[in-house]
Amino acid sequence: MSSDTATATEAGTNGSVNGAIVEAIKVRKTYLRGKEELAVLQDLDLTVREGAFDALMGPSGSGKSTLLNLIAGLDRPTSGQIRVAGVDVGALPERNRAKWRAANIGFIFQTYNMMPVLTALENVELPLLLASLSSKERRERAKTALNVVGLSERMGHYPRELSGGQEQRVAIARAIVTDPRLIVADEPTGDLDRKSADDVLKLLERLNTEFNKTIIMVTHDPAAAERAKKVHHLDKGALL
Amino acid sequence: MTLVAVRNLGRNKLRTVLTMAGVMVAIVTFVLLRTVLSAWTAGADHAAKDRIGTRHKVSFIMPLPRRYLQEVRDIPGVKSAALANWFGGKDPKHETEFFATLAVEPKDFLEVYDEISVPPDQAESWFANKTGAIVGDALAKKFNWKVGDRVTLTGTIYPGDWEFQISGIYTATRRSVDRSSLYFQYDYLNDSPQAATAMHDQAGWIVSRIDDPGRSAEIAKAIDAKFDERDVQTLSMSERAMNTSFIGMISAVLKAVDVVSIVILLIMVLILGNTVAMGVRERTHEYGVLRAIGFLPKHLVLFVLSEAVVVSTLGGVLGILVSYPFVEKGVGRFLEENMGGFFPFFRIDPTTAVAALILAAVLGLLAAALPAYTASRLKVVDALRRAG
Repeated sequence: MSSDTATATEAGTNGSVNGAIVEAIKVRKTYLRGKEELAVLQDLDLTVREGAFDALMGPSGSGKSTLLNLIAGLDRPTSGQIRVAGVDVGALPERNRAKWRAANIGFIFQTYNMMPVLTALENVELPLLLASLSSKERRERAKTALNVVGLSERMGHYPRELSGGQEQRVAIARAIVTDPRLIVADEPTGDLDRKSADDVLKLLERLNTEFNKTIIMVTHDPAAAERAKKVHHLDKGALL
Repeated sequence: MTLVAVRNLGRNKLRTVLTMAGVMVAIVTFVLLRTVLSAWTAGADHAAKDRIGTRHKVSFIMPLPRRYLQEVRDIPGVKSAALANWFGGKDPKHETEFFATLAVEPKDFLEVYDEISVPPDQAESWFANKTGAIVGDALAKKFNWKVGDRVTLTGTIYPGDWEFQISGIYTATRRSVDRSSLYFQYDYLNDSPQAATAMHDQAGWIVSRIDDPGRSAEIAKAIDAKFDERDVQTLSMSERAMNTSFIGMISAVLKAVDVVSIVILLIMVLILGNTVAMGVRERTHEYGVLRAIGFLPKHLVLFVLSEAVVVSTLGGVLGILVSYPFVEKGVGRFLEENMGGFFPFFRIDPTTAVAALILAAVLGLLAAALPAYTASRLKVVDALRRAG
C-alpha cells in the first residue's frame, strides 16, 4: 500500500492528476488461446477527466469491455499502467483491489445482475454490507439512492416484479449507493427498449451533471453514445 | 449476509425441499441404525455391576450341577445367588414369536434381580404356585395375557405341552432386564419326567450378587478356583462381560450395521455436495457480480457454506423430529413387542440424536467445502462472462 499512498500523494488530495481521474498508459492486454497469444489491447493510451461522461465505442472484439474491466480493477493489464484517481490499480494485490473497487467504483451491467432473492432495497444495500455502517444507516443510504433513481415506491419489490428499465435503475442505485467517484457502465441500455434506455441515459446524465460522477460507458448504440460528452472509438485494441 | 444465504434457499424450492428430505432420510436411517446398535448392546451397557454370571467352562449350552449354587453362595463376597435354566418354550398360538422362557427359583431370582418389580401379592402367589409364572409387561401386552390366565407352551428342549398360570406381571426398574420374558418355577421343570434323567438337578447358569462391584474379577476368580478340580469346571465373569460374550456371537452383524450407518452419512455428503456444486455453477455469474462490487473470496465461501449448513441442519432437525415417532413409536414398539429378547429397550439415546444433529451440520460444511473453494477461486472477469 505504501507505493499506492506515494502515488496518491503525487496525484494530489483528490487523486486526480491534472484533472484526469483515469490514465491508461501504454496498456497492453493479451490472452492465451491455446498456445497462441491474442492481443486485445495494444499499447493503448487514454485519459478521462474527472467529471467526464465518456463513451467507449467500437465493434465486437475491439477491446472496449476489456479496457473497462481494467479501468474498474476487475483485471490487470499484461503491461502498461492503469491509474485511477492516482492509484496504479493493476499493481494492487487482489484483496486490496476488491476493497478499492468497493470504495471507488460503481458498476452498471447490461443484464442488471440483481440478486433475485433480495428486494430492490436489499439489492441496493448489498455493497454497503462491506462498509462499517449500522443496519439503520445502510437502510437510509439505500433508500436515498433509490430515491435518486426515482424508485422509492418500488423498494420492497423483487427484481422479477420490476420491468427491465426499473431493474436497471435499481442497478444504478446500487452503483451509486457507496458514493463512488467513478461509474463504469457496460452496455447499460443493451437490453432495454428505446423509452427505458432513454430514461436510463437521462439518469446517467443527471448523475454526471448534478452529482459530478465520472462515467465511462461502453456501448454499441450510437444514440446512447450521443448522450456522452466524449466518445472514444476503439478498433482492434487501439484508439482511433 | 446470512439473510442472503437463507433467502437463496427459496430460489429453487423443489431442490431445497428434496435436498432437505434427503438429509432427513439419511438422519432417520442413521438414528435407526445407531439405535439398533445401542439397543442390541444395551444388555451389556446397562448390565448390573454387582452381578457375576457363572457357566460351564466349555459352553453356554452345557449345564452346571445344581449343587454348585450353594457352594457359590458360600464364597466370601457373594451376597446371594440364583440359578436359571433356559427352557425354550413357544406359544403354539404364536409359533413365530420369540420370547425367553426361563426356569428359576423365584425368591432367589428376585433377590438377585432386584430391578424386576412384581407387585407383592403377585410375587407371593408365584412363590406358592408350582406352575405359576411371571411375565414381562411388554410380553403380557403383546399376547394380551392377564394375571390368572392359564397358558400352554410347547417345550423345544423339554418336549410336550406345559401349562402355566400367570401369577404376576413384572416391570423393569432398570434397563438390565428385558420386559418380554417368562419366568417360572424351577421345581416345576426339575420334577417333570422330561427332566428326570440327565437334565435333573442341572442349572443352565448361576448368577451371583456380590457386595463389592470393585472385587468382581477377584470373586469371579474365586468361584472358578472352587470348581477347578471338579469334573465340571466353571467360567465366571461380570454380567457385562457375559452379555458382551453373547453379543460377540453376532459381532459381525453389529459391525456391518455400524459401517452401514456411516456409509449412509457419506452418501448424504455426496448428495448434498452435488446439490451445492450445482447451485454454485448456476450462480457463477452472480458471484462474479458480487466479487466486482467488492466482496472477497472469503465472503463467497461464507455464502456457500452457510447455505449448505442451513440446509443440512434443517434436514437434520427434521430427521430428528421424524426419528422419535418413527423409531420409538413405530419400529421400536414393534421390535420391543416382537423381538424383546434382542431389543428389550428400543429407544433413541439422546447422545445419538445430538450426534446426528452435529454430524448433519458438520457434514453439510464438508459437502460444501469443495464447491465453496471453487467459488472463491473464480476470476471475476471469467465469472462475469458466464451467462447470468
